[in-house]
Amino acid sequence: MPRLSLSTRLALLFAACTAVVSLFAGVLFSRASEAHFIELDQQLLDGKLIGLRRALHDIQSSESQVKLADELSRQADLSLRITGSDGQRWYDSSASLPDQLPQQSGLSTLNDDSTDYRVLNAPLFVDKPDSPQLTLLLDITHHQHFLQRMQHLIWLTVGLSALATALLGAWAARSGLRPLRRMSAVASGVSAQSLNARLPEADMPPELAEMAHHFNAMLGRLDDSFQRLSAFSADIAHELRTPLSNLLTHTQVTLTRPRAIEDYREALHSNLEELQWMAQLVNDMLYLAKADHGLLTPKCEPLELGAEVDFLLDFFAPLAEDSQIALSREGSATFKGDRNMLRRAFSNLLDNALRFTPAFGQIRVAIVDAPDSINLRFENTGEPVSEVLLPRLFDRFYRADPARRKGSSEHAGLGLAITRSIIQAHGGEISCTSVQQWTSFIIHFDKPAK
Amino acid sequence: MKLLIVEDQPKTGHYLRQGLTEAGFNTELVADGSTGQHLALTGDYALLILDVMLPGRDGWQILQAVRSAGLDTPVLFLTAKDAVEDRVHGLELGADDYLVKPFAFSELLARVRSLLRRGSTTPQETSLQLADLRLDLIRRRVERSGQRIDLTAKEFALLEMLLRRQGEVLPKSLIASQVWDMNFDSDTNVIEVAIRRLRLKIDDEFPNKLIHTVRGMGYVLEERPA
Repeated sequence: MPRLSLSTRLALLFAACTAVVSLFAGVLFSRASEAHFIELDQQLLDGKLIGLRRALHDIQSSESQVKLADELSRQADLSLRITGSDGQRWYDSSASLPDQLPQQSGLSTLNDDSTDYRVLNAPLFVDKPDSPQLTLLLDITHHQHFLQRMQHLIWLTVGLSALATALLGAWAARSGLRPLRRMSAVASGVSAQSLNARLPEADMPPELAEMAHHFNAMLGRLDDSFQRLSAFSADIAHELRTPLSNLLTHTQVTLTRPRAIEDYREALHSNLEELQWMAQLVNDMLYLAKADHGLLTPKCEPLELGAEVDFLLDFFAPLAEDSQIALSREGSATFKGDRNMLRRAFSNLLDNALRFTPAFGQIRVAIVDAPDSINLRFENTGEPVSEVLLPRLFDRFYRADPARRKGSSEHAGLGLAITRSIIQAHGGEISCTSVQQWTSFIIHFDKPAK
Repeated sequence: MKLLIVEDQPKTGHYLRQGLTEAGFNTELVADGSTGQHLALTGDYALLILDVMLPGRDGWQILQAVRSAGLDTPVLFLTAKDAVEDRVHGLELGADDYLVKPFAFSELLARVRSLLRRGSTTPQETSLQLADLRLDLIRRRVERSGQRIDLTAKEFALLEMLLRRQGEVLPKSLIASQVWDMNFDSDTNVIEVAIRRLRLKIDDEFPNKLIHTVRGMGYVLEERPA
C-alpha cells in the first residue's frame, strides 16, 4: 500500500479532529435540549396533575365532569386516562389513545405509531393506597421532530466542517511544508557536477533548520571528497605524464640515428630512473588505495615507541650529520601497533623534516604518555608553514613547493598522505602546527579504555 | 644450478630468463601452468620462480603439488596482486619469498641468490676478505693493507653484507632491509650517505676502489681491473 503524502495525512488528521470536536459538541447540545424538554414537560404535567386532582375530587358529581372537560380542553395536546385500582379502564379523554401504557409511576416516554407521548402516572388520591390511577399523556411529536432536525443539522455541520478543515488543512500543510519541497528540489538537482548547491538555512523554520544544516554539511563533505578525488585522478595523470613524456622523447631521440654504445647506456640509465620513480609512485598509490578501502590491517604487537623512534633516528643519523642537524628524542610509551607500518609513518615524517630543516637546525621527537592518550610530536626548525597550507600538507601529491620534484627516490608528494593513512589505520589522528621557527607534526592515539 | 621460470607473459618471461642467464644461472622458461607443474615435479631444479596467475594450473596449485610430492625446492612467487591475504596464503602453502610487480630486477636477483644460498650450509667463517680488505668477524675489526679502520656498528654490518655478497649488485632497498631492518620503501638517500661514508673510510686512501655504484641498480663490492 503506498504511503499517504504528508499533506494528505495532515489534512485527514485535521478533518478527523474537527469532526470529533463538532460531533462531541453536537451530542452535548442535543442531550441538553432533550433534558430541557423533559424538564418543561414535567413541570407542565405536574401543574396539570394538581388541576385534575382538584377537578376529580368528587368523581361522581356531574359538575366535576364539566370541570374535567374544561380542564382538558385548555390543553389540546393533553389526554387523560383514568384506571381503577383493579386495572379496569374507567375513562379515556380521547378515543385514539394507545391500549398499552407504561405502568411505572413518574415520567416516561412512549412512542405509538407516529405519535410520541410523554406519560405521567400518578395516583388520584395521594393518601389512599387503592386509589385509581391517573395517566396523563402529552403529545410531544413536535418536540421530537425538532430534536431530529437538530440532529440532522449536527451531522451536516460535522460533515461540512470536517470537509472544510480537510481542504484548509491540506492547503495549510502544503504551504507549511514548502521548505521541505525546496529541500527536495535542491537534493534532486545535486549531481557530481553540481555539489555546490546549498539550502538557505536562514529561511528555514526552526524545525527544519537543523536538518538543512546537516544536509548542507553533507553536501559540503561530499563536495570536498569529490574535489579531492577528482584532483587525485588528475594529479595521477599529471604525475605520470612528465616521466612518460621523458621516456618517450628520450627513447625516440636515441633511436633516430646510430649512436655510440655509451649513449645507449646513458639513455637506458635515464629511462631506468624515470621508471623507478613511476614504480615507486604506483606502489605508493596502491598503498593509499588499500588504505582507502580499509585494507590496511595493522598487526597488534606491543611496541616501545621510544625505541622505535631511536631506531629511525639511528637510520637517519648519517643524513642529519651531513646537514649538521641535531636529532633528539625524549619520552617513551608502550603502544600496540604494526612495527613496519609505524616505522614507515615515522620515517616519512623524519624524512620530511630532514628535507625542510635548514643546516644547523634541530629535529626533536617528544613522546608523551598521558593517562588516556599517547601523543607524539615530530618537530623541526625551519621556515614556518603558512596557516592556509597546514591542512593541505596531508593531501596527496601536495608539495609545499611545487618546483621541488627531483631525486629519483623522493616520494611523489605521497609520503605524508601515507603517514596519515597509517596513523588512521591505527585509530589515531595526525595534525600539523607551525609556530615561529618550529613546525610540529602531532600524532594522537587514544588509549583503549580498560 | 638450474632455475625454472613459469611465467605466461612473454615479455616478462623473456627478460627474466635473459637477466638470470646473464647473471650466470641455467634457466628454463615455460608459459603454462600444466607444463610448469610437470617440469617442477620431474626436473631437478634449484629454484622455482612462479607467477600466480597462469593458464592451466595457477602458481599456488603448482606449489601445492611440489610440496605434496615431498620436494623442498625453494619457491619465489611473482604477482601483480598485493593483497595481504594472497601473501599469507602463498607463505602458508610453503612459498619462500614473494615479489610484487612492479619489482626491480636487481631486487629479484638478490632474492634469488639469497634463496639459493639458504640451502647450502656455509662453514662458520671467522673472517671475510676481498683483495687487501679484511674483516675479522670475531674481533669485529676491519683492516685494509694491514691498516686498521674504525667503523661504526652499522658501517661494519654494511661492509659485512657487501663482503658476504661480493660481486653481487645489491639494491638499496635490500641494503636498507638487511642492514637497517627497514622493510618498506624508505628514503634511500640514507643508503647513499651511508655508502659514501663507508667509501671514505675503505676506499678513499687506496688506489684500487672496491665499492662501486651500479647506476640505477645499487652497489657492488668487487675488485675491478684498474
